[in-house]
Amino acid sequence: MSLAPSRRPAWLNVLAGAAFLSVAIGAYLGLRVSPPDVNQGDLIRVMYAHVSVAWVSFLAVGVAALAGIAFLWRGRPRMDVISVAGAETALLYGALTIIGGMTYSKPTLNTFWTWDAKLTLTALMVALLAGVFIVRGLIDEPQRRGRVSAVILIVVLASLPLNYLAAEWFRTLHPAKAIDLTGGGVTIDGTMLTILLYNVVAAGLMFVWLLVERVRIGMREVEIDARRVQADGGSGEVVRV
Amino acid sequence: MSDVRALLAIAWKDLRSEARSRAATVATVFFSSVTLVVLAFALGRDADVMTRAAPGVLWVALAFSGVISAAQAYQSDLIEGAFEQLLTLPVPRAAVFLGKLLTNWLTMTILGWVLLPVTAILFDAPIGSGIPILLLTIALGTLGFSIIATFYAALTANLQARESLLPVLMFPVVVPVLLAAVRATDAIVTGGDPSLAGDWVQLLAGFDLVYLVVTSAIFHIVVEE
Repeated sequence: MSLAPSRRPAWLNVLAGAAFLSVAIGAYLGLRVSPPDVNQGDLIRVMYAHVSVAWVSFLAVGVAALAGIAFLWRGRPRMDVISVAGAETALLYGALTIIGGMTYSKPTLNTFWTWDAKLTLTALMVALLAGVFIVRGLIDEPQRRGRVSAVILIVVLASLPLNYLAAEWFRTLHPAKAIDLTGGGVTIDGTMLTILLYNVVAAGLMFVWLLVERVRIGMREVEIDARRVQADGGSGEVVRV
Repeated sequence: MSDVRALLAIAWKDLRSEARSRAATVATVFFSSVTLVVLAFALGRDADVMTRAAPGVLWVALAFSGVISAAQAYQSDLIEGAFEQLLTLPVPRAAVFLGKLLTNWLTMTILGWVLLPVTAILFDAPIGSGIPILLLTIALGTLGFSIIATFYAALTANLQARESLLPVLMFPVVVPVLLAAVRATDAIVTGGDPSLAGDWVQLLAGFDLVYLVVTSAIFHIVVEE
């Protein structure tokens, strides 16, 4: 029994090209166009990659948790697949955030690892996401696996606002947030802000591409599993895709 | 009203069962005592270091015991399939969760209250003026702990390697609770000013509330078969 060949849609290649191109342009803007910072000099260039990746890692957790909630609601395998794809990309971007943060903090704060609230809690987010994958590996039944991982992702999502609040209250070594989400105004140079926001969009585009590719793979896996159940003469549970 | 009665009945059942077997009590009391002693050896003989480490030591001992206590909460029920019976009760699943949580929280709070003077003596930590706030901090800190521990213990109860999986899953989530609890305790022990602990205690109460609402709302999904 062979799977129906799935044609790779042309727009996916366009999306991949656009993602790589915009990340390259973002790097160029950050490395060549951006003026050096008054205090940090050229080190500010690390910030463009670090901050954009950090923001997208939180976005990815949000996508994973929302898809998980959608899976709990209707039980469609596609939602579980999107949730896993979101969690995997969140893991990747979270790891990149930590690497970027360490690169940034060695020259500015003279230490690789500070027990700063944001850095610590990003590390915790990565640990929580790793927990999702450990638990998924232990459950065979797809519906239950999806439900349990969705539940863990909801708890991860609930702990993210505490992450943000903790950064406010613990007042440790992390540089003061330049963009105040509570409406205190922007304390960053206009050109720099434009380049930062461009980099955020580029990192986001890369995230969307990775997500779509991973969902395509995930859907094939669901299909293969369904065929395998049929071939085993099992319960023949119908998998709606 | 019957939901509350079911909740209390489940908590009462667990308390009585624990009073007879003393399985969790023995395990957590001895384990936390051993943790205190091991940490005392690890920290050396410098009295000043010991005093400053005391708040952290207390919460490390409580955190590790909390894992054991939560895992134990479902153990006796799972053996004879009693947990499935509990789930057939015509009450919201959240009532079952909150009943389990209540017992767990009570035992952890009492353990914390017992460990407090023991830690203060072993580590020579001054707690005199701040005892009421310390007792409140312990009650709120162990509540946050018990919420996450009881929730994840239900989630991992049917999985392989649950003993090692439970701490791996729950510790990253309880870190905000642990941080706030340690800072509140620290404000009294080394800061010597109970009023400094107030902000941390409020923060702790906020964390507890968020976790309590979220876990109660989604517990029924965890136990669904």
